[in-house]
Amino acid sequence: MGIIQKNTILSELTVWEAMRRQIISLPPEANLAAAINRLIKFKVNAVLVADEEACMGVVSKADIMGAYYAGLPIDLQVSDIMVSPPLFCRMTDTLETVLEQMRHHAVHRLYVRGGGDGAVGVIAYPDIVGILYQYCHECRYSRSRRTDKGGDDPILRFRVKEVMAASVYSHGADEPLFQLMEGLSEYRMGAVLITDDRGAPVGVVSKTDLVLAYKHGRDPGAPARAIMTSPVRSCGEAEYLETAIRKLIFSQIHRIFVFEDDPSRITGVLSLSDAARVRSGSCHACVSSRITVGLPV
Amino acid sequence: MNVTAKDVMTPRFHTLAAEMTVSDAVRSFKEATESEGRKIFGMLVTDSSGRMVGMLSMYDILLFIQPKHVRIWGGMDDVDIVGLVDDACHRAGTILVGDIMTTEVISITPDTHLMAVLDIMIKKHIRRIPVVDDDRIAGIVYISDLFYHLVEKMM
Repeated sequence: MGIIQKNTILSELTVWEAMRRQIISLPPEANLAAAINRLIKFKVNAVLVADEEACMGVVSKADIMGAYYAGLPIDLQVSDIMVSPPLFCRMTDTLETVLEQMRHHAVHRLYVRGGGDGAVGVIAYPDIVGILYQYCHECRYSRSRRTDKGGDDPILRFRVKEVMAASVYSHGADEPLFQLMEGLSEYRMGAVLITDDRGAPVGVVSKTDLVLAYKHGRDPGAPARAIMTSPVRSCGEAEYLETAIRKLIFSQIHRIFVFEDDPSRITGVLSLSDAARVRSGSCHACVSSRITVGLPV
Repeated sequence: MNVTAKDVMTPRFHTLAAEMTVSDAVRSFKEATESEGRKIFGMLVTDSSGRMVGMLSMYDILLFIQPKHVRIWGGMDDVDIVGLVDDACHRAGTILVGDIMTTEVISITPDTHLMAVLDIMIKKHIRRIPVVDDDRIAGIVYISDLFYHLVEKMM
């Protein structure tokens, strides 16, 4: 009996094609304020902690948020809170392998090992979704390449509803930041929806907002409304996945909230990691056409 | 003759506070450029006691404006560039100078030899170096001033 092997675009693309070459790092004695400066300045979610000899660990926004929650001083050294050791992949690994490794270790990025002990790059969900988006944009089945835009679309395209997470975690605008941090930490999320008294969305508080609040010396007892970002970025459930990914990538956000008909009633959330998991930027064509039946090894 | 940093430095300089928003910093760049009569590409960041805590350059601000996934933009011909700039302007109202400034600033003293200043500028690819005298900012050496000081005899 043969085995079914599901080949996707990501089985054919390697880390080398998607990774970022710029690695944002700090020495172990740097403090948390310097780490936040790097995170904001270079728009990354984690910094590599390394000295001249070795890569020692990683400090992410989640780690820094934990330090804020615990009331640790901001001049604490990054080596005191880093997660060690950093996880690596190789340039020749396929993106499919990397996604699996990220899922297995529950991490959002992997550093890329070169010939020596050091890191030569980094790869995270946005890099993978970005290359998927490019791939779909160039594909002959792409919506942007259709000449007959008014006619029936022969391609079955992904809609946001098929990919989004249908549960949305929210907090009230007057709830203190430390409660938001508890929720974000418990559910391993990057941001939380903020709602008013009637449950309507009024803003979003992300880990970025929280690490900035930490750096700006804001009391963790301050209400969510003090640091939330508004308006809430949202899209309809029926919107094409391709359109939603485009919004995520070009608005430089990691998640977009989803509504069915009424934008004031949020029904789900779509993140870049959800988009990466479907292995396609837009349609079923490249997924279904690449399912091959092979002989058992 | 022993020519040092104090012979070429500009004692007039403009500063920013780490607590200013990036929007306010951009306005300060414009004002400094108008008052100096030449384009200002970087400004020192000081604390309340006037001590230098960093530097904010145009590079830092452009890095802030630059899209996060810039590699993808190259191949896109259907992307709204106006939306991108609007988004950066919106964020510039909440991000502070201290959040994006460069904190590891190389400085020299008024007595640093001119050739040592030149060496630092070439090796580190920097265009301006603050001159610090006993924890107090004494001035800035700009690469253009250094250049014209050195080549004057060639003209």
